[in-house]
Amino acid sequence: MGVKPVTSLGRSGLSDWLIQRVSAVVILLYVVIMVGYLVTHPNLTYIDWAMLHQQFWVRLLTLATVLAIAAHAWIGIWAVLTDYVTVRLMGPVATPLRVVLQLAAIALILAYVVWAIDILWGV
Amino acid sequence: MVLLALAGLALWMLDVSLSSANGFASLQEVFSSFWFKLLLWVLLAALAYHLVAGIRHLVMDLGIGESLRGGVLGARLVLIFTGILVIATGVWLWG
Repeated sequence: MGVKPVTSLGRSGLSDWLIQRVSAVVILLYVVIMVGYLVTHPNLTYIDWAMLHQQFWVRLLTLATVLAIAAHAWIGIWAVLTDYVTVRLMGPVATPLRVVLQLAAIALILAYVVWAIDILWGV
Repeated sequence: MVLLALAGLALWMLDVSLSSANGFASLQEVFSSFWFKLLLWVLLAALAYHLVAGIRHLVMDLGIGESLRGGVLGARLVLIFTGILVIATGVWLWG
């Protein structure tokens, strides 16, 4: 057994690789559908907008997209930090700094997920 | 980091726009501001570049455009498509 990354999402490169691609397709699908809707509804009213987001499939797609963004951002930030915030580039301060930055990113990402659930299903 | 900021801004806009009819109207007010449109345009430009470059990544995963010539062509196509999307986004915001 080799050393495993502890701050990556899937704890394995192959797992992260697959999650990154599946989440990318989900996000792309959401962006295409939302931009398509907004472009074809230039004089959008609150009623239309609220009714759109009351539909189950829209809530499901929005939640799936938020979760996809969470995973995608976690993996993306991890990749950037482990490439650039390294002992080789910065010296021994890099490791604690990288862990702090990664944990801060994860905290922000989880806050987004909670916020999104509150928006979609909150009272 | 820019895209995480955009995600936060998008969540805020979704929150306000769905909170009430008043919230929706207040967001329309915010949207009429030049500086807000500029901020949104810059963030959407970053997203457009990321999406187009990401699609190129997926296409290359399928084994297309992996040669040196294909790589150069793909990189140029990414810049061209991103430019078109950024201009289209600007026309959408200010049109």
